[in-house]
Amino acid sequence: MPKSLHISPAELKKTGKITFKDIPVNSYKKTAKQARKDFSDAELVRIYRDITILREFEHMLNQIKTQGVYSGIETQYPGPAHLSLGQEAAAVGQAYLLDKDDFIFGSHRSHSEILAKSLSCIEKLSDKELMEIMENFLGGRILKTLTKIYKHSSVKELAITFIIYGTLTEIFARENGFHMGLGGSMHAFFLPFGVYPNNAIVGGSGPVSIGGALYKKCNNKKGIVVCNIGDGSLGCGPVWEALNFAAMGQFDTLWKDKPGGLPIIFNVFNNGYGMGGQTSGETMAYDMLARLGAGVNAEQMHAERVWGNDPLAVIDAYKRKKAIIKKNGGPVLLDVVTYRHSGHSTSDQNAYRSKEEMDEWFALDPCTVFRNELVEAGVAADGVFDDIWTQTRERMKQICQWASSEEISPYMDLKKDRAAVERIMFSNTKIPVLGKEKPVVLIPKEECSRVKQIAGKERFALKNGKPVSKMKCYNYRDAIFEPILDKCYEDSSLILYGEDVRDWGGAFAVYRGLAEVLPHSRLFNAPISEAAIVGSAVGYGLCEGRAVVELMYCDFIGRAGDEIFNQLSKWQSMSAGILKMPVVLRVSVGSKYGAQHSQDWTALCAHIPGLKICFPATPYEAKGLMQTALNGTDPVVFFESQRLYDMGEQFQEGGVPAEPYELEIGDVNVVRTGKDITILTIGATLYKAVEAAEILKDTFGMEADIINLYSLVPLDYTKIVASVKKTGKLVLASDACARGSFLSDIARNVTELCFDDLDAPPVVVGAKNWITPPFEFDEFFFPQAGWILDAINESIIPLPGHVPVESFTVMEQLRKAKLGV
Amino acid sequence: MATGVLMPKAGISVESCIIGTWHKQPGDPVQMGDILFDYETDKATFECESTAVGHLIEIFFQSGDEVPCLTVVCAVGQPGEDVSGLKTGSPPVSEPVPASAPAPVSTPSIVEPSIAETSITAPPAVQAGSGIVGAVSPRARKLAERLRVDLQYVTPTGPRGRVIERDIQTAARTLKTGDGIGGRRQDGFIGGAGAASGVSLAAGAGYTDEKMSPIRKVIAKSMLKSLTEIAQLTHVHSCDATVLLSLRRRFKDSGKGLEGISLNDLVIFAVARTLAAHPDLNAHLVNGDTLRRFNGVHLGMAVDTPRGLLVPTIFNADKMSLLQLSAATKDVADMAKSGSISPDLLQGASFTVSNLGALGVEMFTPVINPPQVAILGVCGLSPKVKEENGKIAVYQSMGLALTYDHRAVDGAPASRFAANLAKNLENIDLLMMSL
Repeated sequence: MPKSLHISPAELKKTGKITFKDIPVNSYKKTAKQARKDFSDAELVRIYRDITILREFEHMLNQIKTQGVYSGIETQYPGPAHLSLGQEAAAVGQAYLLDKDDFIFGSHRSHSEILAKSLSCIEKLSDKELMEIMENFLGGRILKTLTKIYKHSSVKELAITFIIYGTLTEIFARENGFHMGLGGSMHAFFLPFGVYPNNAIVGGSGPVSIGGALYKKCNNKKGIVVCNIGDGSLGCGPVWEALNFAAMGQFDTLWKDKPGGLPIIFNVFNNGYGMGGQTSGETMAYDMLARLGAGVNAEQMHAERVWGNDPLAVIDAYKRKKAIIKKNGGPVLLDVVTYRHSGHSTSDQNAYRSKEEMDEWFALDPCTVFRNELVEAGVAADGVFDDIWTQTRERMKQICQWASSEEISPYMDLKKDRAAVERIMFSNTKIPVLGKEKPVVLIPKEECSRVKQIAGKERFALKNGKPVSKMKCYNYRDAIFEPILDKCYEDSSLILYGEDVRDWGGAFAVYRGLAEVLPHSRLFNAPISEAAIVGSAVGYGLCEGRAVVELMYCDFIGRAGDEIFNQLSKWQSMSAGILKMPVVLRVSVGSKYGAQHSQDWTALCAHIPGLKICFPATPYEAKGLMQTALNGTDPVVFFESQRLYDMGEQFQEGGVPAEPYELEIGDVNVVRTGKDITILTIGATLYKAVEAAEILKDTFGMEADIINLYSLVPLDYTKIVASVKKTGKLVLASDACARGSFLSDIARNVTELCFDDLDAPPVVVGAKNWITPPFEFDEFFFPQAGWILDAINESIIPLPGHVPVESFTVMEQLRKAKLGV
Repeated sequence: MATGVLMPKAGISVESCIIGTWHKQPGDPVQMGDILFDYETDKATFECESTAVGHLIEIFFQSGDEVPCLTVVCAVGQPGEDVSGLKTGSPPVSEPVPASAPAPVSTPSIVEPSIAETSITAPPAVQAGSGIVGAVSPRARKLAERLRVDLQYVTPTGPRGRVIERDIQTAARTLKTGDGIGGRRQDGFIGGAGAASGVSLAAGAGYTDEKMSPIRKVIAKSMLKSLTEIAQLTHVHSCDATVLLSLRRRFKDSGKGLEGISLNDLVIFAVARTLAAHPDLNAHLVNGDTLRRFNGVHLGMAVDTPRGLLVPTIFNADKMSLLQLSAATKDVADMAKSGSISPDLLQGASFTVSNLGALGVEMFTPVINPPQVAILGVCGLSPKVKEENGKIAVYQSMGLALTYDHRAVDGAPASRFAANLAKNLENIDLLMMSL
């Protein structure tokens, strides 16, 4: 909502019509003979050679999956094989003009894209560069294996073998795989050749790849990004979000320093089917996929349909589209029509298509058609292609033997090293500066109005024993803002976005003043596209850029479910630690906004392996944790609470330090010490616990330990266990709905860790298992100080004279559980 | 608002207690938990802690008075308060009344009795050992082990009847001068019990009066009952202790873990084995008309303890090896002396042995411990002569005095048992091998 963009009623009222430009369909008409003017014969032959490598590779996988034998080599693997047999020309055509600085992201059906892109890079790189890449990749492990067993005729040959062997061992889950076998068929990639992660979630690469493009654009990096997705993925919301995000109007209107849409080509390999569902005519409305471009922006995404079985047609399209992107004309949509001869997977019975249809497409198989054209055009004699096939098959047979052999290609030894996967769940590295350029800022830090305002604030909530007025007190939102602002001046790669973060300063004003400091290319309003917001941050992060993105309410996590739970969380470990994920996802637990805007969703995030989860409840915690999150390289879901933004620091002596400091994610904050009972809290409930502790002290003579868990994952139980061993009594409270809350997990663990020291079972006091009712009814839904006493009285230690409000009796528990409420 | 302090109910079967020493005098300031007075049951001495804060205003009973349980003993409050209303002499409440607070969804487990103007609270009653232990928190269980508190005597105050940490702490405090019966087992408490029992000195008469301790009273009552109600008489036998003594010496020198086997152990062993063949003496006379013969030999062993005679039981002594028996004997004797013995081990004997040999007793008539039908007195060794192959030989003789209840057993069978016992003692080596 920038004031610079005027919404004119006069404009909106005008009569007129929307016109469209024609969308080209299969416009490339050159024959191979004509193409000889554009390509050398050797280049044309090499294009065909690449097709044979792609074809033979997947033929091999098909043989192994369906018959357990390839070329006399008996071998098996249980994992998936989504083959793109028949689509090879499209992959080779795409890769032909791309080099290592161009990033491709792929799908579950991307073997050919990986190999084609790699073969293209091998052709373009010098021997020295290739050797360097192979020597440095995973400490040279793959190269060492190959050096022992393979006599290469040239570095390029070695590199080709290297890339096929690395891909196949990755598929076979061997330690020599590109990421030690932990990614597998659907997640293989090879960063040195610009091959970025392929994604097993249909359309998963849609939002992720725009993050790559954002990284290129914001950090002035060479190259374009190609998002390889299938026609089936056009039914996915996140893909639509990505299309729009890549083409947002602000790139032209507001990004003055970096104009133009994202440098990305959405390359849809349109093979006619999403699994078995026929996209055109059955599951999709578009009729012709390229039509979609016209619905996205005025440039119609420069969309066109390309005949994907002709590599030269695809190369031609890429040549033209790259030029458009170079002129900041992205994004581009390509509808690359082709056909997969094989099924969706090797268990596919092809029940959904006719033999006639398949036969017609077999007749157009690029392996035959393109070869015939080249022979006819006189590029090479037919025998040359026979030789190429022989060489390819020989190479593939040899590689298959090596990759199948457990001696040459062992599995990761989890028997010997049971913690091997454990170690790669988080990168746990501290890299305060990822972008080494001079950070682009608009004013010196000290001129920022917010900085001046904060400077005048008291950093502790009490002064001379009296509460400092809200306006003059350094609060929770200041504490989040400070380390972020510092990082803006420190790390050129840091970008921040989300809904209404710029002019509004975020719905809760955390970023107030930040728009004075940062250009749009570093701080911008995202569309209401949670999947694209988080997904793009994932892409940005795995390119090693630092992103802080915000979902206004944590209730919107559902809108970014896949992006948080499958992408943000898993890429570090699926890559065996090759990728890092320096992304902070800020989410705010709502208040006063009803059922769909007020739920604490920490438990959902904590359940997913690979995410670090923070939830500060005090300004001191917020600042220290944000600093740690921003210095690290792990994905952090940073929960905030709308009950807390105005809160000053009440616990940390001396108030919140002005200088930067880190709090260890995993530690806890002991805010009060006692000997009689331990109260563990998450989030804003801390303040209810303090109230309860006061009553326990004044009325019942009990002293409570209060421990606030400012991080949920990881979690060091040391202080919790020590406290419970001391008191023998534990009550846990948070605003999350009680059923399945993270506190239940802690209660269970503490029961195990402290069983013999417990004087009573730990009791969880959570919100009701209801919808969050209107704010007026908060006291009936969210844990109150009295509820904590009720729970203590009923289940831990009777409090003489206490009159309970909430029932924690066994009967009541059973009743509620039976009803599911 | 003055508070009456009740005479605690120290066990389900306890109807009244005797007040021992008053530790506070009227006018003294009193804190919660301060010890107000000692009180005794027939088994132990306890301390009564104050259940109120203020000053001790008035004492309603003096040292030595027997007071029904749950009677108001004294009043604690502010000086000058009228406490006449408390001096009822009868328990103000016999049942807990419901809490005055409106009962909400959950009912507090502890309901404090409350009365309009004056509230009277009792310390948690010490339950008699029911043998039944309900829910106990792991922490309470751990603390009970550390403080040696017997869980069956602990009153639960936790939610849903659970014994929690504070209950153990309370029990450890309340029962700290206990005798091991009814709660805390503590080494060396017996001396404490003696010191704390009611002592009153009559001044300047050339003698001192001391009230018998409850335990002394129990013994007195029991002995008189035995001698007045039972037709008991004593037979005296003796046996040659040569083999016993030589065996004892060899045990002592063996260095094989047998050093600890005493002469008494050998006698006990022989008694247990011999009794097994004489069921009429291993018996109780029940209600004066029924002879209850026991399948196992449960030997009572008279033990001299700092607070008087105790007779712990070694159950199934006839099933034990000599070594096991020796260990068991030592065990129960130690427990009896230290006072840590469980009440379960102070009953259930089918026959008793009283050994005064070490004290140089030549002859005595032991008194039957009813309802047992016999008791063996073991006397000291004395030299005797015998004719052996035409020569006079000196040997050590051991006197055996068997008192039996003639109502249950006649002289002949009693003598047969004594004779067999003497024979077995003389051939203790063969007896050891015969089983």
